Amino acid sequence: MAARWSSENVVVEFRDAQATAMSVDCLGSHAVLSGRRFLYMVNLDAPSEAPRKIGRQSKWDVGTVQWNPHRSESHVFAASSNQRVDLYSWREGCGEVHTSLQGHTRVISDLDWSWFEPEFLVTSSVDTYIYIWDTRDTRKPTVALSAVAGASQVKWNRRNQHLLASSHDGDVRIWDKRKPNTAAEYVAAHLSKIHGLDWHPDNEFILATSSQDNSVRFWDFRQPRKYLNILSCQVPVWKARYTPFSNGLVTVMVPQLRRENSLLLWSTLDLNSPVHAFVGHDDVVLEFRWRPQKEGSKDYQLVTWSRDQTLRIWRVDPQLQRLCVSDVVEDLMDEMSLNVESDKSFTSQEPESQHGLGPAAGNLQDPGVALGSVVGSGLPQTLQQEFSLVNLQIRNVNVEMDAVNCSCVVSAHFGSHQVRLVVKFPAQYPNNAAPTFQFVAPTTIPSAMKIKIQKILTDTSLQKVKRNQNCLEPCVRQLVSCLESDMTQDDGPPPNPFVISNPVTPPLQAFPRVTNTYGSYQDANIPFPRTSGARFCGTGCLVYFTRPITMHRSVPPTEPTPRSLSALSAYHSGVLTPMKMRSESQSTLRLYSGSPTRSDKDTVSISSFYYKERKSRRFKTKREGTDYGNRPIKLAGKVIIQEISCLLPVHKALGESYILNVNDILETCQKNASAALTVGRRDVAKVWALASAATGQDLSPDSDPDTETPWARHPFGRHLLETLLDHYSHMSDVQTLAMLCSVFRAQAPPPDGNPLYAHHPSRSSSMLPPQHSRYPSYTSSSVTSGSCSSTSDSITTTTWNAGRDSEHVNPWGESSPDDYRYGNQGYADPREREREQHDMNKRLLDPANTLQFDDFKKCYGEILYRWGLREKRADVLKFASCPPEPHKGIEFGVYCCHCRIQARGTQCAVCKRLTFQCAVCHVAVRGSSNFCLSCGHGGHTGHMMDWFRRQDECPAGCGCHCLLQSTF
Amino acid sequence: MVSVINTVDTSHEDMIHDAQMDYYGTRLATCSSDRTVKIFDVRNGGQILVADLRGHEGPVWQVAWAHPMFGNILASCSYDRKVIVWKEENGAWDKMYEYTGHESSVNSVCWGPYDFGLILACGSSDGAISLLTFTGDQQWDVKKISNAHTIGCNAVSWAPAVVPGSLIDQPSGQKPNYVKRFVSGGCDNLVKLWKEEDGQWKEDQKLEAHSDWVRDVGWAPSIGLPTSTIASCSQDGRVFIWTCDDPAGNTWTTKLLHKFNDVVWHVSWSITGNILAVSGGDNKVTLWKESMDGQWACISDVSKGQGAVSTITDTQQNEQ
Repeated sequence: MAARWSSENVVVEFRDAQATAMSVDCLGSHAVLSGRRFLYMVNLDAPSEAPRKIGRQSKWDVGTVQWNPHRSESHVFAASSNQRVDLYSWREGCGEVHTSLQGHTRVISDLDWSWFEPEFLVTSSVDTYIYIWDTRDTRKPTVALSAVAGASQVKWNRRNQHLLASSHDGDVRIWDKRKPNTAAEYVAAHLSKIHGLDWHPDNEFILATSSQDNSVRFWDFRQPRKYLNILSCQVPVWKARYTPFSNGLVTVMVPQLRRENSLLLWSTLDLNSPVHAFVGHDDVVLEFRWRPQKEGSKDYQLVTWSRDQTLRIWRVDPQLQRLCVSDVVEDLMDEMSLNVESDKSFTSQEPESQHGLGPAAGNLQDPGVALGSVVGSGLPQTLQQEFSLVNLQIRNVNVEMDAVNCSCVVSAHFGSHQVRLVVKFPAQYPNNAAPTFQFVAPTTIPSAMKIKIQKILTDTSLQKVKRNQNCLEPCVRQLVSCLESDMTQDDGPPPNPFVISNPVTPPLQAFPRVTNTYGSYQDANIPFPRTSGARFCGTGCLVYFTRPITMHRSVPPTEPTPRSLSALSAYHSGVLTPMKMRSESQSTLRLYSGSPTRSDKDTVSISSFYYKERKSRRFKTKREGTDYGNRPIKLAGKVIIQEISCLLPVHKALGESYILNVNDILETCQKNASAALTVGRRDVAKVWALASAATGQDLSPDSDPDTETPWARHPFGRHLLETLLDHYSHMSDVQTLAMLCSVFRAQAPPPDGNPLYAHHPSRSSSMLPPQHSRYPSYTSSSVTSGSCSSTSDSITTTTWNAGRDSEHVNPWGESSPDDYRYGNQGYADPREREREQHDMNKRLLDPANTLQFDDFKKCYGEILYRWGLREKRADVLKFASCPPEPHKGIEFGVYCCHCRIQARGTQCAVCKRLTFQCAVCHVAVRGSSNFCLSCGHGGHTGHMMDWFRRQDECPAGCGCHCLLQSTF
Repeated sequence: MVSVINTVDTSHEDMIHDAQMDYYGTRLATCSSDRTVKIFDVRNGGQILVADLRGHEGPVWQVAWAHPMFGNILASCSYDRKVIVWKEENGAWDKMYEYTGHESSVNSVCWGPYDFGLILACGSSDGAISLLTFTGDQQWDVKKISNAHTIGCNAVSWAPAVVPGSLIDQPSGQKPNYVKRFVSGGCDNLVKLWKEEDGQWKEDQKLEAHSDWVRDVGWAPSIGLPTSTIASCSQDGRVFIWTCDDPAGNTWTTKLLHKFNDVVWHVSWSITGNILAVSGGDNKVTLWKESMDGQWACISDVSKGQGAVSTITDTQQNEQ
């Protein structure tokens, strides 16, 4: 039986190939080995034949090579070389590049042919893009997927033609090619770089990732937070790929390490120990591929390429395949018989399978005949070999091996228990000869358990040696597992079995709500933090902060800053240094995490993206010999406040010196002009001179519309002013705008002759001498722009809801544009209308724009307030004509007392009766009124006052004690 | 001329992500990856640490001062998915409110115009925008716009409280019809305008021009002119100026301010709305000003973080 293993191992050496990549075509007839100077085409049916060569001229190694997996395109393979993918076609013994795909700007890390569409190829690159190419149109990729981080692997899903997965350092992204904008799912798979990615051949949701962090993890991407299973190895795993038969997995270690040269076959159902090792390569395995099964054959063949420049073909017979199915040790006994049977059946099948292999079978059977370079067996044959290869770095376990005496002593202690076990190996071991197990002092476990363990160990070893396999390591692991599970029952929480002496702990098991894993997958949609910024604040300040000048980006300046926080994950592990990060910066990295607010040493901060440049020696000496490098690094730059008011069109000095004296407009203009000159605003000074001229007495309009055209109608009147306002609007000079508006408002006194300040409304809210307003819906409100509490009381008015007054008295000095618009309705006398029109015409400020002028004043008032010039602000706001602030308290609406419908005016629109009758005189009330909030009766204020001077009951006779009920 | 009036050494233990002064320009708030918010009194060139606010469990991205009519109130948002409103009472700063309604990092906070009361908009990486309104007596009303931006919302900025089309359509005597509006930018490369109608927030406009994540938006303050202006900046390095003269607010025209070589993180308007400060991944600050003919020109450049703003053009307005 032992000979079986060597005979199944085909070894061909290609001494000069120096190939970096290998691929097997979908027919299983050829493997391509890509060296720097040639591509070697190996006929797998006759591997010892001299390979055919395709020359290539490139200084770059081939990164990845892959045959098209579709039979129709089986002659095509793709090979990546730096930023380019060459598509080769191989026909009738010669091959050539037929086209190239160019688009990536950095080296291509991986490529993969679609399983569904023969023309589609996906490539991933360090340039952060993943391109999907249609090889019929090679000018540009059909789909570009933009990831923030460079990808190391990309693989199409084998079950769903739209899905693909890519790995970015420790993260995996799942993409749907129909939605290229963003990844469909993020999986924060590992803490260290992912080297390999493989989709499950049958399940569209499951994939396996292999990583630098010594583990292979299995994921259902629908549950990205928790891996399905983990396979812990002691070495970084280069590739882990599913076997074409069910439940198997093959792993190889990272080539750079050169410690472990065998491929391990695992059963995904039991990840505690590998079910088989493909031992034989003298150097690390660079690539392995499954050779498609020949029709009728039950065997699979694994083709491997190693740095020892040999290509090997391993046969995986149904026996070995079945190992991947059998799982737990408990079932072993049951399976024994089955295995024996299958052994038998296998033996009987053997000739048949050899037939199936056809011409290759001869070579497989007897490679030594054809090849000189055949290496020996695939398994350690002697105990000594096993001892040297065995991997027993298990916590709490020590194994002393004595190859000379064919024995070893396993000592372990778990909690309070100690175990010492002597294993003796027979001479024929491992060829169907099991070792014996014996507990010796000072073993402390109870005897019942001893018996149980002994049975398990015997079973395990028998299981192995029946197939001529080594059993020491599986036995020791079984021992540990038994002990630990037993301790669990005894001692409460157990240590995780099979945790190998290796610091990697599954970090994502419990996902706290607020994680310290800053920069992980979940940060992919969080924008990369700002580390510099500028903000205008107050009125004339610019506040800005920047990175300290000693902090430099760890990526070259030509690369844009990443957009998402997840890019930081690249700087998360010490294993992977960012591209241009120098080794010295690693120490600074550690310094960052040493800051006291962060407890977790592994926390990565945004500052990790930047590294601190050491000061030059010259600088150091200047610092009086202090070792600058050892001082804590300032990660926070300074915040600089800059005075930029000179850039603004408004001036605080002007705000202070501007005056607004309505009684002497001329003087106001002159003083303001000289103030403008002192701050260097000659343009504004000239405007003030113009204003003084325009507001001069000789230009003041006549009250009689017939004497002459008012100055405002002159081109240099209103039109000039409008032009000026337009100009300053463009300059955003709200100061000049507001002052001009105020001055020209003051210049045009209101038609009724009320001086602007004459109107000092009282604060009282209910009983006022009749005062008529054209703002009917307000009761009591204040003119303020909100921020100024100091002035909010000064301009208060009370108006009444009780109806409009046809008498045109405007308490505000200037009518609102609405007055202008609606005002003409009620004038019976055309002369009145004419006068009204004339009033409008006299004004230099277009009354139609009053609201806008008020906005200028309010905005300027706001700025004055920020400057702390509250009195100046009040001065300006006095000229605001806008309607008072919206009333927020009680509003009175009139409901018709007959039909209960809200009415406007004195007459109900429905019943045509008077809506609100005075309870005393029975005449409709409009204007000042008073009524009881309790019974709703009331009437003219005068009548009410008279009545309630003598009575306290309602004049309507309803019996309401109005004086007591409400606030008469 | 432009001069540095203060240089504040914040002594944050990690990088600073935002710095903002209050309404009067007397206090400076900074926030950092060290999870703290600090407030400094910077009057007369001083720098007195007034408060060191600790409460966030992750890097703090942005701070925002509320209008002083509500008291001394500061909002901060963080990676820890929280928004904290801090208030000074009797000289001591304390948490006034903590909002934990987002499922991912909160990237931006902005107080609305004081006319609307104490209202805070928060944009988060969970794609939602929250509007927190103080209703008095320790109560906050929360409205959430879910899925405002797919993937995530990066910035919010309020429109000034002006009446749209105030010049024409103001009906007689009615209260000024202030409409609450704000703008947001997100990972869907879009700039979106939002409007409150009948107490519900509705998407009003969708502005499309950027080719990568929008990192910041800024609605320019109004000086009483009928034009609305918005600046937006993006990962794609572009800064766009959006303007709307239409009183209905439906037609926005865009103008490319500049294409920078690296991501642009932040835009900020001067109080008169005519100068824009732009800062980004290149560690530089540039100031841009619109000339009389509507062209945007760079008027200064703050480089390397240590130089002063040097004005390139004569900024005195000597135009006649």
